[in-house]
Amino acid sequence: MLEVRGISKRFGGNVALDRCSFMVEEHASVGLIGPNGAGKTTAADLISGILPVDDGQIIFKGRPIQNRPLWRVARQGVTRTFQVSRELKALTVMENMLVGSQLQSVEGVWPTLFAVSRIRAAERTAVRRAFELLELFQLDRVANELAGNLSVGQKRVLELARALMAEPGLLILDEPLAGLSPTTSRNIADFVESMRARGVTLLIIEHNLTMIERLCERVIVLAQGRVLAEGTMREIRGLPEVIDAYLGPVA
Amino acid sequence: MAGVAFYATSLAILACIYGIIVTGLNVQWGFAGILNFGVAAFVAIGAYTYGLVTLGPPPAGSNESYILGLQAPFLIGLLAAAVAGGVTSWLLGAVALRRVRSDYLAITTLAFSQIVWVIAGNETWLVNGWDGLAGIPRPFNEVLELSYGTYDLFFLALCLVVLAAVTAMAEVMLRAPFGRILRGVREDALIVASFGRNATSLRLRAFVTGSVMASIGGALLAAYVGAFNPSAFLAGETFVVWTALLIGGPGNTLGALLGAIVVPVVLTEGTRFLPHVTTNSQFIEALRYFTIGVVLILVLRFRPQGLLPERPRTHERAPWSSRWRGGARNERSGGNPPHA
Repeated sequence: MLEVRGISKRFGGNVALDRCSFMVEEHASVGLIGPNGAGKTTAADLISGILPVDDGQIIFKGRPIQNRPLWRVARQGVTRTFQVSRELKALTVMENMLVGSQLQSVEGVWPTLFAVSRIRAAERTAVRRAFELLELFQLDRVANELAGNLSVGQKRVLELARALMAEPGLLILDEPLAGLSPTTSRNIADFVESMRARGVTLLIIEHNLTMIERLCERVIVLAQGRVLAEGTMREIRGLPEVIDAYLGPVA
Repeated sequence: MAGVAFYATSLAILACIYGIIVTGLNVQWGFAGILNFGVAAFVAIGAYTYGLVTLGPPPAGSNESYILGLQAPFLIGLLAAAVAGGVTSWLLGAVALRRVRSDYLAITTLAFSQIVWVIAGNETWLVNGWDGLAGIPRPFNEVLELSYGTYDLFFLALCLVVLAAVTAMAEVMLRAPFGRILRGVREDALIVASFGRNATSLRLRAFVTGSVMASIGGALLAAYVGAFNPSAFLAGETFVVWTALLIGGPGNTLGALLGAIVVPVVLTEGTRFLPHVTTNSQFIEALRYFTIGVVLILVLRFRPQGLLPERPRTHERAPWSSRWRGGARNERSGGNPPHA
């Protein structure tokens, strides 16, 4: 589904990613771990099209998607969430969900004025689906609340629910548990688990290794912009280079 | 008494024209978060285009000079003004809106406004320079043959029709998925793009729509006053329109109309009735801007969302239409797990 071939990215003299390659198979759930500054978020930015690559290729569903505008990559089916929740504050929870929905064809001046019935039909389907997801994610009670008024945990849940609205081919979660209490983290992890059960292809960036072990069958370890190791969590745990990267070299 | 009625009618016409222009800015700033500091330029483009299309050619032997002079009827003039505003804003927006950051457009539109002003004033062959256009025909005047005061009532009705159309369009846009995605662009363009929307294109569409509205307002202004010259669109005019929107309530269609009544009409015209406490003739003029400034500060301090704040749409679990379409809802949500 996703094939990253030797991508590199430099910020000034700082090499964030250095000829990095890995794959994510369809319906897989892959963890991307590594110490701070390893290049995990940069990788997410390059794959989702937020940043252009300096070098290398990103193949999604057999097509190169590197250096294409964010919105085009998104239309191919790549969706991501952000480390810090980016809810649309002055829109309601439901409106946030509908922004996640694929309603591009009715969002224009002409359909607004001349295709009222088509809009209504598309909206009805989208709203129904959004309510189903909100119910699943326990946000249906706050559907008409402004997203800016939600709690930190709810915002993170909304971020996941909205991403699911897009029916993504590949969903990249950038530290979905960062800054959350253990209870909220477990809730979010349950939601991610349910996404996985629905067959969503996931690439999860996370520092909480217990959760990564629970949510991902395969893990890629990044350090200093390179792929250091790859395998199941169990295989990786014992590797001395991984321990070095996380804890510093043992004397 | 006739004088008072006449004055009231002229204020109402002014409120309508401002209502159209402020609504245009509302589509840009209130909906899509686009900082357009060139409102006056698009009003001027509409006004000049209307004048050039409806006026006859400059009389031989006069020292007036302007292009076109097509002597076309009102509706053609109005349409031409809308098209001119649309085309220029599209060209400007296509260049300036590529960047996500709104301040680029703010600077560009401000500069554009100044350029239009300088060109209109100095290129005498184009729109008769600083003297501007005069004798712009009043729409349907020769057909109706109404008295001066009665004609104004007719013109007010005309303005109300246009205002109603423009407001209805803004309201329909706001409630439609298009308005929602524009508000999304306003909040966070990156998020909207990361869900497969071309934010630049959406912003461009809002910018053009709003500018077309401003140009339509400009056309009505030229038709009403019968003249238009560069002193009618100084940078201060943009400021008045902005203040009207901020006080009225950005993102609220009725707020834009309320602002158009409060600021250009009540605050600017209201100062006319103040007793002349000094002999300085500049005093009242200065007091107008002073009053508007103070009211703006008070509103921003105590009611930053404007007098009529934005009201997001609420969504009910069962949309009203599914009630009479009966089985459709049960059929679809009949216990099947939603697909991701």
